[in-house]
Amino acid sequence: MILFLDGGYTLADGSAACAECIREYAQDEELISVKIGEEMDWDRVYRHLEDAHAIVLAADVYLDSVPANVLGFLERVEQAVIGGESIGGKFYAVLYTELYEGEQTSVAMEVLKNFCVHANIAWGRGLGIGGNKVEAVSGRRHLWSLFRAGTADFRQRSLREQALFIGKKIQGTDVYVKPEEVSRKEYIRKMNHEMKKSNRVKIAQNI
Amino acid sequence: MKVIVHDLQEKSWQELGMKLQEKDIVIGGDADGIGRDIGGLMGDCSQLVLISRCVYGGFSPFVQGVLEKYRKHFGPFLEMRHGQTHYEVKSANKNTFGMVCCFYGDNITPREEQSARILSVSDGISMQARGVRIAFYDTVDKLRQLNAIIV
Repeated sequence: MILFLDGGYTLADGSAACAECIREYAQDEELISVKIGEEMDWDRVYRHLEDAHAIVLAADVYLDSVPANVLGFLERVEQAVIGGESIGGKFYAVLYTELYEGEQTSVAMEVLKNFCVHANIAWGRGLGIGGNKVEAVSGRRHLWSLFRAGTADFRQRSLREQALFIGKKIQGTDVYVKPEEVSRKEYIRKMNHEMKKSNRVKIAQNI
Repeated sequence: MKVIVHDLQEKSWQELGMKLQEKDIVIGGDADGIGRDIGGLMGDCSQLVLISRCVYGGFSPFVQGVLEKYRKHFGPFLEMRHGQTHYEVKSANKNTFGMVCCFYGDNITPREEQSARILSVSDGISMQARGVRIAFYDTVDKLRQLNAIIV
């Protein structure tokens, strides 16, 4: 069984896409999804953690760290391990950021690796995805849709690869990706342009 | 004006005997910050002091939660800084406020210390701090030494 931990904070759609991809590429294995939040059924979570062959955490990165609720969750898991819970599954992470460079998730990835050391969980593989903001924009046309399709493809490719590692439960080197199809400058320009347009719509709607 | 964010218990915080001025703001783990515009305060300060338990080489959930409230001071737009994309910072104190990141814990490994250092500097760049000072203490008592760092 694969336990999917959804730590999405602002980019929940990123976690959903990630779960979908893993489900598709690890069909032989049951995937159980748990949303990390304040109210959780901890008995159920501990049971799943114990049974899982692979634990996958998907979360967005803000100010170079995973969200506060994810940190709280990890601390509680560590306490459970100290209390006698045994977690045999490997830990995989998919971290995403709106910023262009996937490397901007590397500090948060280190935090997760440090957690694994504390909780005595084997690290599987980390995937850091940059340029994820593109997912928040929809219904665009012309050049924008080409741009969006390009970036979505790069994301799917890396997610599929991560899903293969998870499905086979093997360890791998952490990977950080960015939307290579567009330059950093172009990404910033397009994102800012879209944001200006969406702000104008909001203002118009408020008049 | 200083803004101090800490996750200490009230008793431990009082025992530090931190020298404070009238305008300084303390946001503590015992819900001091509730009802305040925390992001707004952080965006107006001359020094931001983060006192945090070192959790896996990063901030504790409480301190990270407070930092998440700074989000509204990031504009919706992206810009290039130091060769990477960053959110545009809207706050009045950008490039003028100093940041002090202080981590405590009795079992901070070298790897966690390294992560915490990189995290602190990265946050300083993201929030456009003038500079970042980083300190580590293995006991809460030793946090008293912070009085020498905090202006």
